[in-house]
Amino acid sequence: MAATYRTHMSIIGDILATTRDEVPDESGASVTYLIRKANVSYSRLSKILETLVQQGLLEQTTSERACKYRISERGREFLQAYRGFREFADSFGLRI
Amino acid sequence: MEFVLETALNLLGFLVGLVLGIFAYIGFKNTGSPTLFRLNIAFFSIGIGFGVVGFGYLTESFILNYVKVDMWIQTLGIGIQTIGYFFIAFSHGIKSFFPKSRYFKSIAVPLFIIPGNSIEHIIRSISFILLVYGTIETIMSYMENRKKSTIFVAAGLGLLAMGEFLGWYSVVFPQSVLYFISISTKIAGLGALFIPISQVPLRGVRFGSNI
Repeated sequence: MAATYRTHMSIIGDILATTRDEVPDESGASVTYLIRKANVSYSRLSKILETLVQQGLLEQTTSERACKYRISERGREFLQAYRGFREFADSFGLRI
Repeated sequence: MEFVLETALNLLGFLVGLVLGIFAYIGFKNTGSPTLFRLNIAFFSIGIGFGVVGFGYLTESFILNYVKVDMWIQTLGIGIQTIGYFFIAFSHGIKSFFPKSRYFKSIAVPLFIIPGNSIEHIIRSISFILLVYGTIETIMSYMENRKKSTIFVAAGLGLLAMGEFLGWYSVVFPQSVLYFISISTKIAGLGALFIPISQVPLRGVRFGSNI
C-alpha cells in the first residue's frame, strides 16, 4: 500500500484527535505518547505543540515527570470545524 | 423575456458562487489551509464573473437604456469565471496542459484553432478544458475515497464544462436557445457543487490564522 502524504493541517488534526479521543489518563497525553500516535518526529511535534498551546487549542499540564497535553474547549471546537472543512475539501478530491 | 431569464440566471450564479466562496473563506480563516484559500478565490471569481454579466446587462438595459448590450461585458464576465476554473484545476495540480497522446491532441487543439480571433471563444475553450480536467481528477478521487459528495462535485464540474461548451456553440448559432441552456446548465453545476456544503455545519468560530 502506497504511503499517503499528510499535510501540516492533517497532522494538527491527528494530534488534536489523539488528545481528545485517546488520552491514557485525565492529566493528558505525554510527548512520547503523541509521537507514537500522531506519527511525527520529536522536533516537529515540539514546534506544533508550542503553536497549539499558544493558540489555546491545547492545555499544557505539568505532572511529576513530564509535560502533558490535553485538548481545550477551543481545541474541540476547532477539531469539529476542521473535520467539516476536511469533508468539504474531500468532496473536491482535495486535502486541506 | 429571454433577456430577463438570462440576467436572472446570471445573478443566481453570482449568489451561488458568492455563498460557496464565503464558505471556503470561513474554512481558510479557521484553518489557514491553502487548498481552501484556492477554492475561495475560485468560487469568488466564478460568482463575480456571473455577477459582471448579470449586473452589466441590468445596468446597460435599465439604467443606460442601451438597445443592444455590449459584448465586452460577456467577455469580461467569462474571463473572470475562467480564473475561477483555473484555480479549481490548479488545486488538483496541473501536470500538463495538453494530453500527450496525439489522438487527444487532435481533439483538444481545434478548440483553440476554430475560434479564430474571438477572445470570448478562446476564453470559453480554456474554461472547458480546465473544467474537464477538474472533472476527471474529481472522478479519480471518487475511485479512491468512494464518497457520495465527491460524485456531486464531479457532476457539478461536468455540468459547468458542458455549460461552457454549449455557450461556445451558442456563439456559432446566436439566435438559438443554446445560450439560455448553457447558463441553466452552469447554474445546475454550481448547485451540485453546493451539495457538499449542506453536509457541513456552518459555524461562526474564529481561530488564529498562524496554525
